[in-house]
Amino acid sequence: MTATRRIAAEFRAAWFSFLRRRTAVFFTFFFPAILVVIFGVLVETQPTGGGLFAEPPGYYIAGYLAVVVLFTPLSRVGSEIARHRDGNRFEKLATTPLRRWEWLLGQTLVNAVVIGLAGLLLLGLIVLVTGASVPASPDLLLLVPFVALAVALFCGLGAVIGRVADSQDGVIAASNAIALPLLFLSETFVTPDLLPAWFRPALSLSPLTYFARGVRAVTYPPAAGGDAAAFNLAVLAALAALLFLAGAFAIPRTD
Amino acid sequence: MDEALVADEVRKTYGGRKARRAARTGDDASRSGGTVALDGVSLSVAAGEVFGLIGPNGAGKTTLVRALTGTTTIDGGSVRVLGSEPTAVDPARIGLLPQSFSPPGRLTARELVSYYAGLYDEARDPDEVLADVGLAGAADTWYEKLSGGQQRRTCVGIALVNDPEVLFLDEPTTGIDPAGRRSLWSLLSDLAAGGTTVFLTSHSMDEVERLSDRVGLLADGRLVAVGTPNGLIAEHGGKSRLVVRTPAGEEAARAAVDAGFAAEASADELVLRGVSPTDIGEAVAALDAAGVGYDSLAWTQPSLEDVYLSLTGETFEDGPRRRAAPAGGAR
Repeated sequence: MTATRRIAAEFRAAWFSFLRRRTAVFFTFFFPAILVVIFGVLVETQPTGGGLFAEPPGYYIAGYLAVVVLFTPLSRVGSEIARHRDGNRFEKLATTPLRRWEWLLGQTLVNAVVIGLAGLLLLGLIVLVTGASVPASPDLLLLVPFVALAVALFCGLGAVIGRVADSQDGVIAASNAIALPLLFLSETFVTPDLLPAWFRPALSLSPLTYFARGVRAVTYPPAAGGDAAAFNLAVLAALAALLFLAGAFAIPRTD
Repeated sequence: MDEALVADEVRKTYGGRKARRAARTGDDASRSGGTVALDGVSLSVAAGEVFGLIGPNGAGKTTLVRALTGTTTIDGGSVRVLGSEPTAVDPARIGLLPQSFSPPGRLTARELVSYYAGLYDEARDPDEVLADVGLAGAADTWYEKLSGGQQRRTCVGIALVNDPEVLFLDEPTTGIDPAGRRSLWSLLSDLAAGGTTVFLTSHSMDEVERLSDRVGLLADGRLVAVGTPNGLIAEHGGKSRLVVRTPAGEEAARAAVDAGFAAEASADELVLRGVSPTDIGEAVAALDAAGVGYDSLAWTQPSLEDVYLSLTGETFEDGPRRRAAPAGGAR
């Protein structure tokens, strides 16, 4: 009960603190919208079936969702840790009953809600402007755990980056350096057959690959096997638990 | 009386691995590029006592607060807070205002205090805390919109929200205007009267002198003096002095020395040391007899600031002083 009270206090503070940063809120939701417009409308598939986006629009739903679950937690949690460190907030928190995993969980829940809303906006836009169709089945509800677990995973990774980088600038640079390769080498927008055969096994090393495969199994079943969603969800859950714990451990407690 | 805080031979070095290893084995860490922040500091603070820690910038005050609160790891020695290791003590029993603390932004003063209150099972009413620090009227103002002094008072309120038994305040009144400082002093005095142990660091000598039962002076990582403010002043503060604002520096100093006073002259000031109140008339008569004009006279007793300057070897950078003393010795 007491942990719940502390996590709720952390969530409330982080939620209002985020919601009142109008620029941050605007660009958090503008980012997925502009992505869909650029990749879903401007970059069109060629009539011959070739081009950058050669697969049917439904294939890329997983990629669009991957963008928001990847970039936003990495940069937000990393920057929050840098801000906390600059303001000696961890020094203060270390003398309160709040534990490190509780702090990270509070931040993760805020990110999950924000990214959940951004994901909904994204799905609506994709259907609206790219003509993709999302199968209305109970399996679609699996998107909720997929997004929540991926957010937890990348919040944990963001915490590790925040610990290692010594400034907010450092966090942003490190986040971009990690996120961009992950985004394009995780079966999101670049299909495996576009990569050299020797490199394809490396795709399995990216946690985002399991998110993309699992989400695709729900939103674009023709591209996935029968039990792909359950298997990828299980792998993602294990990786999320691991990285969340690593992130909680990485949160500074002393100077 | 029970000891609330005990530090025994605490050592802390900042630097690379080599320096830290040297510090742990008792070798000279500075040879390995380390900076010694605490060099064998020992002190104890009784329950209910207000202990003031003073010292120059970089003396190790904040590091000592961190060692006592368990927010830094020490290289040697030991620390006990309320009888336990700092990291083992129930956090509800201690309160901390870190130096240069900046709480999460875009929250009102009330929301901030409520946030920290929410981290404890039992906490004081945030509005009551804000009233205590004189911010009842600004409770709904965002932290960023508060003045520097109001922000610092909010931070003090945050440190008080769990009604701690031991309160660590690292430069609590930095940036607070005189009225706000006095109001906080009054609050801290009330807390001390109620039995709260207060460990306070400050660059404000009058604050430390007024609030503290005992004062410690830290310089270069070493505790060079500990005692009551009056005890330290009597031992290290020097003599009372008469400060004469006059442009006739050297001429005035000669006249004072001829009259048997120890004198120091600068461009626009003459300082006579060891002048008791009954000697003031004699000093003035000596200056008048020598035809020395002056703008003002001020007699002062030694203070904690004199102790600080005496023990740290620091001086005010207000131009060179020339010392002169009577042949027969100063009064």
